[in-house]
Amino acid sequence: MSTTVTETADPSGSTAAGSDAAPARPRPELRSSRRKALAGSLANVSLAAYFAFSLIPIVFILALSLKSNADQTTTYLAFSPTFENYRTVLGIGDGGSSYVRFFLASLVTSVGAVLVSLAIGIPAAYAAARYRFRGSEDLLFTLLSFRFAPELAVIIPLSVIYQQLGLYDTFVGMIWVLQLVTMPLVVWILRSFFQDLPAELEEAALLDGYTRRQAFFKTVLPLVRPGIAAVSLLAFIFAWNNFIFPFTLTSSNAQTVTVSSLAFLGGNQVQFNLVAAGVVMAALPPLVLALFIQRYLVRGLSFGAVKS
Amino acid sequence: MATITYEAATRFYPGSERPAVDGLEISIEDGEFLVLVGPSGCGKSTSLRMLAGLEDVDEGAIRIGDRDVTTLAPGRRDVAMVFQSYALYPHMNVAENMAFALEMAKMPKQERRRRVREAARILDLEPFLDRKPKSLSGGQRQRVAMGRAIVREPQAFLMDEPLSNLDAKLRVSTRSQIAALQKRLGVTTVYVTHDQVEAMTMGDRVAVLNEGVLQQCDSPRALYQRPANAFVAGFIGSPAMNIREFAVHDGHARIGDRDVEVSDELRAALADEGLDRVLLGFRPESVDLVGPSEGFTASVQLVEELGADAYLYCSIAGTDHAGDPDIVTRIDPARPPRVGETVHLRVRAGHEHAFSPVTGERLSS
Repeated sequence: MSTTVTETADPSGSTAAGSDAAPARPRPELRSSRRKALAGSLANVSLAAYFAFSLIPIVFILALSLKSNADQTTTYLAFSPTFENYRTVLGIGDGGSSYVRFFLASLVTSVGAVLVSLAIGIPAAYAAARYRFRGSEDLLFTLLSFRFAPELAVIIPLSVIYQQLGLYDTFVGMIWVLQLVTMPLVVWILRSFFQDLPAELEEAALLDGYTRRQAFFKTVLPLVRPGIAAVSLLAFIFAWNNFIFPFTLTSSNAQTVTVSSLAFLGGNQVQFNLVAAGVVMAALPPLVLALFIQRYLVRGLSFGAVKS
Repeated sequence: MATITYEAATRFYPGSERPAVDGLEISIEDGEFLVLVGPSGCGKSTSLRMLAGLEDVDEGAIRIGDRDVTTLAPGRRDVAMVFQSYALYPHMNVAENMAFALEMAKMPKQERRRRVREAARILDLEPFLDRKPKSLSGGQRQRVAMGRAIVREPQAFLMDEPLSNLDAKLRVSTRSQIAALQKRLGVTTVYVTHDQVEAMTMGDRVAVLNEGVLQQCDSPRALYQRPANAFVAGFIGSPAMNIREFAVHDGHARIGDRDVEVSDELRAALADEGLDRVLLGFRPESVDLVGPSEGFTASVQLVEELGADAYLYCSIAGTDHAGDPDIVTRIDPARPPRVGETVHLRVRAGHEHAFSPVTGERLSS
């Protein structure tokens, strides 16, 4: 009774094409495979070139952050590296600086925004995936429009409202406004994850004795974990990188690291090297998070549940 | 194990005027294998899901044994379901998939393992107990889904097109295995399919649904031999029964170029209803090739040779819809006529089915 279905996918595709050609000539599939190899290495070379090109800004900023004041505008790569900029930005030996505080403010507001949008976005995405009701598509589109509407369009009324409500320069206010950025992302991405999960899976769990709530938390949620990890990372990066909201809605208390680097550009001196050091450190959290979360980004956990 | 009773069970989908299932009345015996069959959208899956508790019952009631389960949560109905997509938990291996419901029921670990072993033995799944669903073939997944139902030793098995994701050959062998397994376990089973061959071969009784309404519920043989209405007559049987409307004059129905006498009983029934037309149905095997003087004339449009049988698709001479095959007949495959040839056909006496052209209900007994 046991049967095994073996599906062999031939990645090279049409190797059989032209196999009935005259034997005297070089076999066409050989020629085509040589052409394929050539095309492959060409693709690799151009990808490598693009990779190097895309690294330029990163290398540039990294180098700049290691340059002294004198070197910052005069050389590209020939300089004696110094960590003085980092020390200055962090205020080491200088009784501390506000950079650390801004950094922490960034962390608190970004993580807060992600948590808020997950708490509301996960159930919303589930509902959007499973139920169709009057206006559900409009609702989702409105949510999406938060993503493509220019932030500048709302910034003036928003700052007036924030001033009046006492949300200006507060953590709550920042989390509130940043979750506007992250929530649509959470809902739209997770919705497609939920849609990929067959409803029958939950129904099977219901018949096996779970309540609806248990079926959601114990069957559905674990299966969309890769999606939640992916969307959390994305949402965090969006919140962390946001500039315009902290720039206009905070002054000192809840100011974030993206805005604080501007301080090095004011006054008597324009210190790009200090900005660079701040930027390099500010880029670390998303980078670390991405490395950490990478393994969850691999989808495929849910494959095999059903035959599509 | 228990009886199952639908008592005028009705389901309206939100926003729809017409019920998806309309006043369904079926009593299923203990240990019976009942098949719900019908075209897509006929309400067969909805009926099954109402029994499972996945769909509300808006009117009427459903009983399992003497328990009214109409409003009971799915998990408390003590029924096991096999889904079309199998719905195996992808993060659990085969053994865990099968044991999951038992775990939920707080069954002792030893008993759980015993039951999983036993089911795996029955279903030939022993080598795969540690595998995840994604590394199994379609047929194996199907058996895991069956195993998941078996281990629960439930009051009833509910199966929603469990074979439709298998390839044709596997479907046929699995079909007989499921039927045999059900007989052996003696668990009341409700099985949904759109495939009438599946319905006829598996069910003790078959319930035919159309547009949410139960058309007929009977043994496969009775459905075939005495369809209650024109819908059932046309749905059951492959190729389908020939059903055409004919005018009746002086106790004769005009079929092509020949008058055929109708039975006294049918004549009386037509008179009662005040009808001068009748829907006559005859199965392909009830139509014989005869000599030129005996039957009505038809020309062959298509010959289908299947080896054991051959089917002739003919158009009856003297009917206005030319070109469209009017009648299908099963013939001896040894000497099939050629396309375009003129043949003479006769319906075997007593093998015709008569239905009202107005209501579609059966007229003859």
